[in-house]
Amino acid sequence: MDLAVQTFALTKRFGDFTAVDHIDLEIKSEVFGLLGPNGAGKTTLARMLTTILQPTEGTATVAGADIRDEPGKVRERIGVVAQAMTLDVELSAWENLDIYGKYYGVPTKLRHERVEELLRWVGLSDRARDLVGGFSGGMKRRLEIVRSLVHQPQILFLDEPTTGLDPQARAAVWEHLVAIHKDQGITLVITTHYMDEAEGLCDRLAIVDHGKIVALGSPGELKRKVSGGDIVEAELSIIPETALRALEKADFVLEVKKKDNALTILVKNGAEAVPRIVELVDANGGKIKAITLRELTLDDVFLHFTGRSLGD
Amino acid sequence: MAAIIGPFLSLVLLGYAFGGAITYAPVAVVRESNGQFSSEFVGILRTQLSCQYGGVNCQNSYTLIDASDLASAQVMLRKGLVKAIIFIPLGFDQALATHTNTQVNVYLDNTDPISAAAITGELTQAAQQLSTRIQINSPTTTGINVILADFYRNVFYIEFMAPGSLVQSIMFASIIGGGISILEDKERGIIEGYLVSPLKQYEIIVGVLFAGVTKAMFSATTLFVLSLMIGAIRPSAGIVGYVLMFFTLFLTSLGVISMMTAYAVGATSRNAYTFTAFPINITLYFTSGAVYPTNGFPTWMQEIAKVNPEAYAVDALRLLIYKGAGLTPVLGDFAFLTVFTVIMIALATLAFKRAL
Repeated sequence: MDLAVQTFALTKRFGDFTAVDHIDLEIKSEVFGLLGPNGAGKTTLARMLTTILQPTEGTATVAGADIRDEPGKVRERIGVVAQAMTLDVELSAWENLDIYGKYYGVPTKLRHERVEELLRWVGLSDRARDLVGGFSGGMKRRLEIVRSLVHQPQILFLDEPTTGLDPQARAAVWEHLVAIHKDQGITLVITTHYMDEAEGLCDRLAIVDHGKIVALGSPGELKRKVSGGDIVEAELSIIPETALRALEKADFVLEVKKKDNALTILVKNGAEAVPRIVELVDANGGKIKAITLRELTLDDVFLHFTGRSLGD
Repeated sequence: MAAIIGPFLSLVLLGYAFGGAITYAPVAVVRESNGQFSSEFVGILRTQLSCQYGGVNCQNSYTLIDASDLASAQVMLRKGLVKAIIFIPLGFDQALATHTNTQVNVYLDNTDPISAAAITGELTQAAQQLSTRIQINSPTTTGINVILADFYRNVFYIEFMAPGSLVQSIMFASIIGGGISILEDKERGIIEGYLVSPLKQYEIIVGVLFAGVTKAMFSATTLFVLSLMIGAIRPSAGIVGYVLMFFTLFLTSLGVISMMTAYAVGATSRNAYTFTAFPINITLYFTSGAVYPTNGFPTWMQEIAKVNPEAYAVDALRLLIYKGAGLTPVLGDFAFLTVFTVIMIALATLAFKRAL
């Protein structure tokens, strides 16, 4: 099967700083997420794949063309949706799409058909002649996403596609993105630092940190990699050192993280662990105010692999 | 900083420009009479000093250029090479020798009313000085009349200023519609959007520059029409003159847009660009001769004017609009503007390649 993206020891250095460090990655026809905190290297990786940046070392093929040797071919075959709004607010929705199609040399008749079809698809047909300046955030985002489809790309790169949107608008955008992949067979490569976005949208994820891929797999697989347990969150009024050490040593506990008066404890089996945690803490002079049991989320996975939470 | 630099530049540039007496204005002298009196008259003109700053700084008002006959002097005036012609007619010496009143004829380039007024004043003084000398030697009332003739129809000061304003509107359009909008597009990632499309780099640059030229030409043309409506411009140009005038505006737009584009793309931030763009504008405008003829400038300002594209644009526009000039007189201005534009397009291209 043809790979949408394949990188070969792809590296980018800015002076002494290595932003992307010998990454080898294969992306199939799927919805792929690049997950990482700011400065992790995911944006630099995406910028190399979209031919804006030249790699320092290594190379990649994107949609069957080499990013070093045939950047023009790569550009013809991909669509890019930037994080910031780049629509022309002084033009109508229709004009925005049409002029973009011209950049890509889409023949007039085909272009007009595509524009009509795409506008209908995102429910903006009746606003086609209105200036984009008056559109809501969600409408602009939808318009921007379909703008990158006028030339029928094989791969669509999206940078933080739902930043700044309200929950309803985000859901609508996600729905359209899933449909773009399912109905049109377009590979999506999404960079994000939103866990819910990654979890709800992506078939597979790569967690990027310090220029390297630290974990790769489907959201489910990644969670199982963190040895498939549950999370117990306990809030204590007093945390004696002895209680903390006792917990760390306990055989049913996999990992303990302390933040202020709260403990996040990764355990093998949550239901069994809760009473034993209470017991252990009590025995060591600690006092628990509240305790909750929840399933592992991608946030926990991320914390596990990078040692920091995504919000940091 | 901007609040200090702008007014300071205006003070220095405008102050020195308006405070300066017209010096070394090129004036053609045509002598059909070669006797003692006419020599004496030319001698007075040559040595007459115009003083400023309380008589400390005195300089010659004119640079006299000898012309063989009136016709060739008129060609020089028409090309803007001289600001006036002093014509000493045949029989000038004869008349004065026989104690008869006589005259000198002065043809003025009145499209530059400031220089014309200065030259008129100095000439009248010179004529009086000579008359007085003759009257002392022989007690008669023999005198020399200075007959003034405007070479062009009367041009008001507002008309003198108007070409500078057209160039100014090109400059403003370039700073705002050119530079700032490019910086905005860069910040918002719109230019990056062009880069991930199959558009060629030169197509992007040409597109950006001509978008700016369109805006600049639109503002200059609108201002031209407005000036016509309020009588700030009363052109004496024919159809060729109009074509050349719009070509001048186009060439100036392309050059200035490229300059500000190169500057904006190379600027470290939008603030750095805005704070410096307006002082650049003030400097170019006030040293262009748009509000006061360059002959009145101190030397250092004249040096700036020599490399200032706005000075050449203003000169070409005045020649075309008021003097009904054809192509030949403005060739020099066009040559400078073309060289300037080519260099600036090269710089803009380079800046784009480095920034993108």
